[in-house]
Amino acid sequence: MMTSRLRTAAFLKSHQNPDGGWGYAPRRRSLVEPTAFAVLALQAGNETAAAGRGLGFLRTCVTPSGAIGLDPRDTEGNWMAYAALLAFHALGAAEEERRVKAWILAFEDASGRFSRSDIAEISTRFRYDASIPGWAWTPRTTAWIEPTALFILALRGAGVPAADKRIRSGIALILDRRVPSGGWNFGNPFSKGYELEATAMSTSLALAALGAAGVAAKRPEVAAGFRYLEGELDAGISTASLAWMLLASRHYPGIARRASGAASLLASLQAGDGGFRDNIFETALASLVLEDAASLKPAAGRIP
Amino acid sequence: MSGARLTRREFGRLLGASALATWPGAGPAEGGAPQYRPAAEGPTLRVALVPCPDYGPETLAAAVREGWRSSRPPEVRGKRVVLKPNMVDVSADRPIHTDPRLLEALVLLLGDLGAREIVLAEGTSHNRDSEDLFRRSGYEALARRRGVRLVDLNYDDIRRVPCADPRATLLKEIALPETIASAEVLVSVPKMKTHKLAGITLSMKNMFGVLPGMVYGWRSWARPRRPASWSWATTRWPWTPRRPGSWDALAVDATAARVMGVDPAHVDYLAMAHRIKLGSLRREDIAVTVGRLDRARTDFALDPEYALLRAREG
Repeated sequence: MMTSRLRTAAFLKSHQNPDGGWGYAPRRRSLVEPTAFAVLALQAGNETAAAGRGLGFLRTCVTPSGAIGLDPRDTEGNWMAYAALLAFHALGAAEEERRVKAWILAFEDASGRFSRSDIAEISTRFRYDASIPGWAWTPRTTAWIEPTALFILALRGAGVPAADKRIRSGIALILDRRVPSGGWNFGNPFSKGYELEATAMSTSLALAALGAAGVAAKRPEVAAGFRYLEGELDAGISTASLAWMLLASRHYPGIARRASGAASLLASLQAGDGGFRDNIFETALASLVLEDAASLKPAAGRIP
Repeated sequence: MSGARLTRREFGRLLGASALATWPGAGPAEGGAPQYRPAAEGPTLRVALVPCPDYGPETLAAAVREGWRSSRPPEVRGKRVVLKPNMVDVSADRPIHTDPRLLEALVLLLGDLGAREIVLAEGTSHNRDSEDLFRRSGYEALARRRGVRLVDLNYDDIRRVPCADPRATLLKEIALPETIASAEVLVSVPKMKTHKLAGITLSMKNMFGVLPGMVYGWRSWARPRRPASWSWATTRWPWTPRRPGSWDALAVDATAARVMGVDPAHVDYLAMAHRIKLGSLRREDIAVTVGRLDRARTDFALDPEYALLRAREG
């Protein structure tokens, strides 16, 4: 009987593209995020040859400036850089790690481009502070919860201190955009006076980022976020959200009371061929989280 | 969405106007973008306005069949047809996404008409948790029940398409999901509803959801100084229908707006689409078939910011 990790490795290796990368689904074009996570999962399982070929694909995607986006043709760079940084760090690709990290730390969102009146209008209509820098899906656009959380996870995983000003700012953005009744959505807690609903994926990622930055468990936003997620667990939660929730739970064992149940549920979603929903990224992410892999763990350091 | 104050029954009655805009392929125009020109002899655009009193499968099947037959549809026999519903999010107490029962009726009709393949495709625009949304919306169950492929356009393979009409966009090219770029017939199946940033949203704005999130981001506000509706209008229409004469999307939206008690000429992106001749929103260019517009009008509650959109005429 193969272990879960071996089945995951078999699934990933059987779907590796000739260029060394993976798409989100089998037989799809290679992209940075699924490739980086497949590389991390294979490396964690000591499948170094397949991981090395994946790393080779990722190297072809890095521009001299350190920007990295969807694939080798994408020269502007985008949110997928977070995943590449995690992979370069885990596999010891020091030069690529240095360049991509520098690009991420210099990433410009739209916060510096808003006028005072823009910021005032956004504050009135959507009730958040648009002047706080975070990370966007694409450069020079508005920062949102999920890309900000993903970049914080990657930077902390790559050893950037929690006290770094970009990380502190990202954490401030996440806390500022919380939904008052608990949890987070994409980043608009309100629209024209109406509170907008939280979502499981945004909440899971926000809590994982707060945990990676060492934000204290006593913060009310943390407890409210987990209360929201526990309700979602009962209602039904997606594979990726469940995995991110489990990652977040590891930082807050005293609050995340249902972490073991979440782990069992996630493990039960693995198909016979080793995949999760026939999705490369979700398979690798679930495997890494279930195995409590070192590559998704942050360096030491806290924000009080 | 304030439009959701209407009851489901009232929504159902308006279904015919809201349902369908079709394109015989969504590729870039060859040799530049064709432009709509009104004919001297009268209305050249046809929109079917079909009464549909409930969501029962027989009622829906009859309404969809009547609407399809009466609206000069493209040939679908032997073709790959992509249905693009509107599903930004799912709300337990407000109908804000295209009802799967309508989609199912359409799937069955297209099957009867001999479509080679039917694909249900959506790229949610701010909540990227498509597994959760496809499940809660009922689309996953529908796809399984009817054997249609369900595609998350946000993560589809990408085809970069040059923009045919430089007046319509700031972008020189656009990344389209392969599912959309390779569709032989593309059907927009929107939800008639009001919208907090655009006033109303119908079949054209529904196509905002074909922009892949992994390329453009989820909820991208690319240009903070621009009004959002302007940005949407320009980023959604970088390509135009391959065959001249398929202008009906704007006519559908103009008609649906009138059903909602909205003057389409006051809706920024519809007015812009008319101005650059993607079609026409003028009453005299549109022949409404089956039902009557004056009997279907049911004023949707507009956000106070968009009160000026309200149509004064009947």
